[in-house]
Amino acid sequence: MKVTIKGYTGVAVWKWVANDDTCGICRMPFDSCCNDCKYPGDDCPLVWGQCSHCFHMHCIMKWVNGHQKSNQSCPMCRQAWKIKEK
Amino acid sequence: MLCDAQNKDSFEAKWPLIQPILIKLLNQEPIKKYEWFNLFSDVHTMCLWDESCVPKLRKELETNIVDFICSIQDQIKRHEDDQALLRAYIGAWSKFLDQSNYLPHPFSSMEATNAKSNSSMNSLSQRKTPESHVRKLMLDAWYSSIFSLIKQRLQTGVMKIVYSERIGEPFDSQLVVGIRESFVYLSSDPDDRLRIYKDNFEKAYIDSMIEFYNKYALQFITENGIINYLTYADSKLKEEEKRAQKYLETGKGSNSLELHRQACIEVLISKYQELIYAECNNLINNNDIKNLKYMFELMDRIPNVEPLLADLETYIVSEGLRVLRANFETITMDSEKYVEQLLELFNKFTNLVEDAFNGDPRFMTSRDKAFKSIVNDTSIFQMDLPGSTQKGKPESRCPELLANFCDMLLRRNQNKKLTEEDIKEKLSNVVTLLKYVQNKDVFMKYHKAHLTRRLILEISNDQEMEEQTVMMLKDIGMPPEYINKLSQMFKDIKVSEDINDKFKQVARNNLHNINLADIINIKILNAGAWSRTSDKIAVTLPPELEDYIPEVEKFYKNEHSGRKLTWHHLMSNGVINFNTKLGKFELEVTTFQMTVLFAWTNRASEKLSYESLKLATELPDNELRRTLWQLVAYQKLKHQVLCYSPQVKQSKDFDENTLFWINQDFCIVRNNKAQYRGKLNLIGRLQLSTEKNREEENQEIMFLRAERTKVIFNIFLKFFYKVFYI
Repeated sequence: MKVTIKGYTGVAVWKWVANDDTCGICRMPFDSCCNDCKYPGDDCPLVWGQCSHCFHMHCIMKWVNGHQKSNQSCPMCRQAWKIKEK
Repeated sequence: MLCDAQNKDSFEAKWPLIQPILIKLLNQEPIKKYEWFNLFSDVHTMCLWDESCVPKLRKELETNIVDFICSIQDQIKRHEDDQALLRAYIGAWSKFLDQSNYLPHPFSSMEATNAKSNSSMNSLSQRKTPESHVRKLMLDAWYSSIFSLIKQRLQTGVMKIVYSERIGEPFDSQLVVGIRESFVYLSSDPDDRLRIYKDNFEKAYIDSMIEFYNKYALQFITENGIINYLTYADSKLKEEEKRAQKYLETGKGSNSLELHRQACIEVLISKYQELIYAECNNLINNNDIKNLKYMFELMDRIPNVEPLLADLETYIVSEGLRVLRANFETITMDSEKYVEQLLELFNKFTNLVEDAFNGDPRFMTSRDKAFKSIVNDTSIFQMDLPGSTQKGKPESRCPELLANFCDMLLRRNQNKKLTEEDIKEKLSNVVTLLKYVQNKDVFMKYHKAHLTRRLILEISNDQEMEEQTVMMLKDIGMPPEYINKLSQMFKDIKVSEDINDKFKQVARNNLHNINLADIINIKILNAGAWSRTSDKIAVTLPPELEDYIPEVEKFYKNEHSGRKLTWHHLMSNGVINFNTKLGKFELEVTTFQMTVLFAWTNRASEKLSYESLKLATELPDNELRRTLWQLVAYQKLKHQVLCYSPQVKQSKDFDENTLFWINQDFCIVRNNKAQYRGKLNLIGRLQLSTEKNREEENQEIMFLRAERTKVIFNIFLKFFYKVFYI
């Protein structure tokens, strides 16, 4: 008798790894999307700043674009906002 | 000269000239042209020169007209027979009516003088009313000296004619019309032209009608029963309506027809409504469309169909529940039968409303109301939502059965006989029924679970149809949070397919993983859309699989940073080659089944105790029991994959020393023939969550329900603020 695997479909679910449950700007959970989007996930991604704070990308873009270039800071800690490249 | 002229043109001089012509005119005898002209000039000059002549002239006119009328009256009265009397009266009247039209012309100068002599205030208003005094005088005279005397006889005569028409004897309708006209024209009261007609003719006509039917309707009912009476009343109403149009005044300002209609309804329907309503139930039960239709039309005239609505509702509910109860056995087991049964009932009731009640919206509403209570009835099927906050409040199983039926339609290989159109039609039927389901969220919960299975196992019949179904559900107002999740799932499964392709490409480029790339597919899904919580279940995977997990995690981390993967072993599944001494089989299995079977690797012929299987697989107790039970007692199989001893009735009863071993004589039996090669699906209904998760899901339903109530309550409050604080 022998049992071998012919095929396998592995199912996994993913969640954001964030240091907070909700976005500091729109107050929506990270598992859900920002106020302008309909579906969470790939359409409404998260971004991390160098200060390690994390927001919906749409939210922080709105925030940053609403300020002058010299004054673009993280809304949580007032450090200059720079996206953390990984 | 003035004096002379006065004498010559005085009333006393002129009247003898006028009178003979007047009498000729009244009698409608021929007069010469010059006599006609002289009449004008004589009256004119007389009125011009002799101011005192007007009252005299008026008096003389009146005496002459009354004399004339009296002579006619004598002639008319001579007729004993009613018909002859009527005929004579109409003849005389129509002549007289003609005269009243042109006789006033010669005397118009008299009226002009008369107007002048009156106060100037009045003259204005009098010029406005063209009604001639002479005409009024004539009509009044006719009224007082002939009409009021024989009015009663005329009326009774007419009513006799109408009566004979009603009982179907020969009659002369022209007489009725003539008399009615005389009643209408006789009124000289400019404010209420129809007063005489109304007080006499109309009243008499309606009264006689009421009297007639008081007698005959009752007689008909006692002789033929109330059911036949429906047809009778309907035909009589129509007949009376036609008759009234012929005989009653329909001109401006007359509401005779309306009054008559009301009286008809009163005497033919309202009076017997209790009797009629009492029959409604029987008619519905006997499906007597024809009589129901009559009944509805009659009652709609009153209009009071409330009792019919109530009867219809009671009938639908009791009939619906009776049928469902009668087929209880089949329809609880077979969701298709259930849906068909419901649809059949629905169509039956709809047809009833269409045919018997002309599809009247009020009856449609009743059907909806009653059907809703059938669908949501909890006395036949019920289910409990465990973990619900209102414990003990049962819910209908209808949404679950509907969802199961949808699953059947949308799953591949289930409906080989059905064409795409058939499936679409059946789906839209389900949607029709769903409209009546109260607990739409329960349906959505099941639908979502079924959809998850179809997408994960890739057994969906047609992606497009799946999405159409969701759109249909959206259109009938399913809870939007569920609809959103469903559309998200479709999107997510596409994203996951792309990731799978990418993963395979990467794996193929990596030489030592070539085998892996062929075997492994991944579905990486967004936790938000698919499942809120996923318990991490400890399990020892077969070594081949243990190896691939880090590979996938590495790959995914390169693709997307900031995301954490959780493996969902419950949903994962695979195909294994299962070779026994009899043959080679391919088994479609769940991860747990696979894990259990791999416990025999390298010791295929050994008997393993429950305890040692538990050690080998590391599965939680309940999951292991469940999985083993699937392998030793799979419903559709004659030969099970595993054997065990001692025998038990249910998975709970396995104890630590129960022994399990591979069934070396395993084979697939199809059509009573053993087959030594082939594919077998052991997954059955893919388990989506553990007990704990299921409870959480139910709590979520309850939570969402409470939220919706809150939202409605808030809207309500806001509304009140608006109303009271504006």
